[in-house]
Amino acid sequence: MKELAHKLRTSQVSSVELVQHYLDRIRAVDSDIRAFLYVDEDGAIAEAKASDERRRRGEPLSPWDGIPIAIKDNICTVGTPTTCASRMLENYYSPFEAEVITRIKQAGMPILGKTNMDEFAMGSSTEFSAFYITRNPHDLTRVPGGSSGGSAAAVAAGEAPWALGTDTGGSIRQPGAFCGVVGLKPTYGRVSRWGLVALASSLDQIGPMARTVADAEILFSIIAGHDNRDSTSWPNAAYRVMDAVPDNLKGISVGVPEEFFAEGLDPEVACSVRQAIKMLENLGAEVKPISLPHNIYSIDTYLTLVTAEASSNLARYDGVRYGLRVEAPDCTTMFKKTRTKGFGPEVKRRIMLGTYVLTASHHEAFYEQARRVRTLIAQDLEQAFSSVDVVVTPTTPTTAFRIGEKQDPLQMYLSDSYTAIANLAGNPALTMPCGIDRKGLPIGLQLIADHFREDLIFTVGRVLEQSLREVEAGGEL
Amino acid sequence: MISRSEVIRMAELARLELSEEEIALYQQDLNRFVQSGAELRKIDTDNVSRTAYVGRAFSLLRSDEVAESLPQDVVLQNGPKVVDGCFRVPRVMEDEI
Repeated sequence: MKELAHKLRTSQVSSVELVQHYLDRIRAVDSDIRAFLYVDEDGAIAEAKASDERRRRGEPLSPWDGIPIAIKDNICTVGTPTTCASRMLENYYSPFEAEVITRIKQAGMPILGKTNMDEFAMGSSTEFSAFYITRNPHDLTRVPGGSSGGSAAAVAAGEAPWALGTDTGGSIRQPGAFCGVVGLKPTYGRVSRWGLVALASSLDQIGPMARTVADAEILFSIIAGHDNRDSTSWPNAAYRVMDAVPDNLKGISVGVPEEFFAEGLDPEVACSVRQAIKMLENLGAEVKPISLPHNIYSIDTYLTLVTAEASSNLARYDGVRYGLRVEAPDCTTMFKKTRTKGFGPEVKRRIMLGTYVLTASHHEAFYEQARRVRTLIAQDLEQAFSSVDVVVTPTTPTTAFRIGEKQDPLQMYLSDSYTAIANLAGNPALTMPCGIDRKGLPIGLQLIADHFREDLIFTVGRVLEQSLREVEAGGEL
Repeated sequence: MISRSEVIRMAELARLELSEEEIALYQQDLNRFVQSGAELRKIDTDNVSRTAYVGRAFSLLRSDEVAESLPQDVVLQNGPKVVDGCFRVPRVMEDEI
């Protein structure tokens, strides 16, 4: 991205040319991949022209002025639809824009369009989009992951240089791993949720998806910062990109939780992540075994909380103020008919589960117990960060699965086995590619750090990325 | 075991109309969900506090300043039925007041 910024600065390329390049690419490949729900050709070109004009006057808004971006369709934009890939919001145009969109515009970045996702961000494969499925650019018979599958596929297929996704239990990192791109779930409170259509408010974060760790860091610095319209926004949330990173990792300690390498992990994924850990050691990092004993409960805890919060958050779709309405003679029937027609099967499933765990008779045993176990899970990580700087794990148990392969919802939920912990505990976590399996599918490695220590993640990630690139280019381990 | 009538009650609470197939499907899903989470409910959490917020604690207080808000017509632009600056819904009261 620094190279692109340099070319724009020195007039080797214009923003209009750049945007046109990506629009051409979308036109060429998106009929196969279907990463986008909406492509805003006119809007993107108009923004690019304005950017070129600013550069001509010598007044760029930022070094990234003119570099376009793709946005997940649960982030509110003005002038383009925000559908959450749901029939419920098929014709919804937000009257306001998300804080992250304001920040993207303040940096001068044209928006290429809105990307596909699982309906209301509920899913791990983008198969639950109400409109169409997105395909993995590395193998069109496989899923791109989800729920930010459109953003991940767009970046992987070169349809956008970078994108925004959202992550509630792994929805940036799992598709990032499946598509071989970098994605960060920031610390809870670091990026404003104002204008993000809520799934589970205590878990949701917006984050960057990009081709390299360095690019993800740049995009993160653009969107991070305090916003008093989000009451969970941290006052010191801003982030400054590190100018340079060291060429080794001396003085950095890396924790490896053995629980994450147990049953259920694909041997090829395990092998690739272990090789990367060996590489970290060779780079000077001190590698230590650690334990996160409560992570085995993270999926059940996560499911209880995410369905409870979702069933409550989605109560707003009743046909009164926005979205679909199915007319009926009385209000209750109107609510029912609207919700029955507007929501897809996975959304209904989660609303049913969430309603169940919140009913008076089950509230204590399910919901409150999950909140207590959430504390135990968070304490595990807190304990880990008293002795290590970052934790390294595989991002997902397997590489991308086939379209239609996971029919069982409980099996699908296991995709988030290694990622949900960071949402439950609020920690920042990044996925980056660390290899490919024999089928040619990308393998992702996850780096988790203490709250607000994205700098440590980016340091380790950038050094490791450089090293992996040298190996790929034929160098020695 | 979660009964069929309990599933119907959940659907009523969630304002969803379910077909016979959906009732059977969600009954099965709910039962599997309850089963898979059985271990979770066995953990001793007597002395564990409940987590609601995972960020670092900070003061939410700020000065109470008047800020710009959206104009009414913009707020109402997505309303499925808007009359005289109001969202219109089916009649709620039985008789004329």
